[in-house]
Amino acid sequence: MSLEDIIAEARETILQCDQARAVAVAERAVAQGFDPVQVLSEGFSYGIRQMGDLFGRGEVFLPQLILSSEVMKSAVAILDAAIQGGTPQAKAKMVIATVEGDVHDIGKGIVVSLLKTQGIEVYDLGRDVPTVKIIEKALEVEADIIGTSALLTTTLMGQKKLEDELRKNGLRDRFKTMVGGAPATQRWADRIGADAYAEDAAEAVTKALALLGK
Amino acid sequence: MSDIFTRYGDGSPTRMSKEDIRFDLEEGTQDAADRGKIPALTEAELDRLFEICTMPEKAVTVERGDEVIVSFDAGTLKLPVRAGVPMDRSAAILTHERAFCSDTMELGHVDYSYKQLKAIIHEECQAMEHIQLNTIIPVFYGAMPNLGLYTKPDGPIENWSELLPLAKIDEAKAAQEEAMEHAVKDIVYVASRMYESGADGINFDTVGASGDADVLATLKAAEILKEKYPDIAIEFGMAGEFVLGMHGELYYDGTRLAGLYPHQQVKMAEKAGAAIFGAVINTNSSMSFAWNIARAVTFVKACTEAASIPVHVNVGMGVGAIPVTNTPPVDAVSRADKALVEIGKADGL
Ligand code: B12
Repeated sequence: MSLEDIIAEARETILQCDQARAVAVAERAVAQGFDPVQVLSEGFSYGIRQMGDLFGRGEVFLPQLILSSEVMKSAVAILDAAIQGGTPQAKAKMVIATVEGDVHDIGKGIVVSLLKTQGIEVYDLGRDVPTVKIIEKALEVEADIIGTSALLTTTLMGQKKLEDELRKNGLRDRFKTMVGGAPATQRWADRIGADAYAEDAAEAVTKALALLGK
Repeated sequence: MSDIFTRYGDGSPTRMSKEDIRFDLEEGTQDAADRGKIPALTEAELDRLFEICTMPEKAVTVERGDEVIVSFDAGTLKLPVRAGVPMDRSAAILTHERAFCSDTMELGHVDYSYKQLKAIIHEECQAMEHIQLNTIIPVFYGAMPNLGLYTKPDGPIENWSELLPLAKIDEAKAAQEEAMEHAVKDIVYVASRMYESGADGINFDTVGASGDADVLATLKAAEILKEKYPDIAIEFGMAGEFVLGMHGELYYDGTRLAGLYPHQQVKMAEKAGAAIFGAVINTNSSMSFAWNIARAVTFVKACTEAASIPVHVNVGMGVGAIPVTNTPPVDAVSRADKALVEIGKADGL
């Protein structure tokens, strides 16, 4: 099988939520000596972003999205092992929360599911989470990224508060920050000094990987 | 200067050239057409929309004869609660009737979910009776189906939002099906009591906030109410532009609910006995007003063409091309209203 065929099949297995075939493709890719990073990013990850996009259009539904992310995880496990030559790689860590005063968590949950498929260890603190708690957890687990979700114009300020508190406490350089939720925009991210903004779960994955330099 | 004052979907003001506005109108209508698999706006409609977007007046309005009816959700939450004006609910309704000239109004409780209202229903009935004695306009009673409230820790059922990320898909589906049964019972109970206390109609607000099961529960409750009270007026206000598939396998009258767009949602509401359909189109806060309004009008036009009942488009913060702000700016609100009515053929707002 050529690399192109492997990549095409990897994408397909995610879109079809086909666990057995996904594992088989990943194993074949490793056995044939193809670059596991390329198979992951152009094959499986591409597929999962496509699923996220289809979900955002109401063309696939949450159970299918979750299933495909499970399929993705098994493929990632095989490719990850190959990338590291067998030794497990230190996983990137991300703390995520819906800001204080805000109980909207449906969108954040979807973001979490997709981020997990990329081998990122996600600590989901839930909803209505005070800024101090977010920072405490990020310090405790030595997070690489802190992500916040806000769905209300009145709670959007919680994302700014995080930036301000991090800066005030000399912690701003320790973490990358990422904001999301319907009222957030790239303009808002720029204004408050957040490192990234993503419009939906698929973009959240791309942006998180970019922040991690992957 | 050829630059036109306009805004982004988050309300931030900006200036755009006429060419950019035209470009965004075309992109916006195309986005709606692709997603909803519906026709894009015609050149003539885009020309008219362009005129509306670029009118020099700060606020615009419909032409005489094109006025439409307004109905409300979160009705009595607006003045006394969100605006913080110290007045009770009946004063709020009378203010709407006598000062704002609202066509209808809605009585609602701060705890705006059918589940929560059971315990205080006698007080809500009394409030409705009192208000009906003082008002002339039709007064609805409204609340949200809010299926999420039936899950732990607020209710008895396992939380599907927690089950799904653990890939417990069958359990998550079963939990949603169980929640529906509770919700139907509560909605029918509360709506019946309020209708018998004189409510002119019942409003289901934010239908689908918890996904497709939330929609199905509401459709079933509407069916039961319509059977019980053939003259009852039911308004369906949706939560989002497409039904979120949290379950994915729920059907009404043979149609899968997940993924339905407004022109398809309205047919379901009609079958269940709704009298008014409240279409929702989400505002994208990163995009321009032009992009958002072209998109909203495209969806609404398809919806009003498909509908046999009046369509009242939701035009509040973050929906119907209105920017996501606390107090939506009049330039955007009045343009959105005009466009939705004149081009989208909305029957009400
Ligand atoms: C569902 C819902 C609710 C549910 C929430 C249930 C839950 N468990 O989440 C309930 C009924 C509880 C609710 C309550 C309220 N709500 Co509400 N709600 C909504 C609704 C209908 C949908 C939101 C949603 O889930 N969308 C679907 C998901 C998939 O999209 P999403 O959240 O945008 O997430 C995506 C992206 O934003 C992004 N993303 C999200 N988070 C993150 C995080 C990161 C780090 C990144 C990178 C990306 C990212 O990726 C996601 C996936 O693609 C919206 C209206 C609408 N149509 O948007 C109103 C809306 C957000 N609510 C609103 C309001 C006003 C309220 C209430 C105040 C109403 C009230 N008076 O009771 C309360 C507030 C409660 C509180 N304190 O938070 C307003 C906000 C207006 C404003 N000016 O801010 C809206 C816009 C409706 C409206 N126009 O009135 N709500």
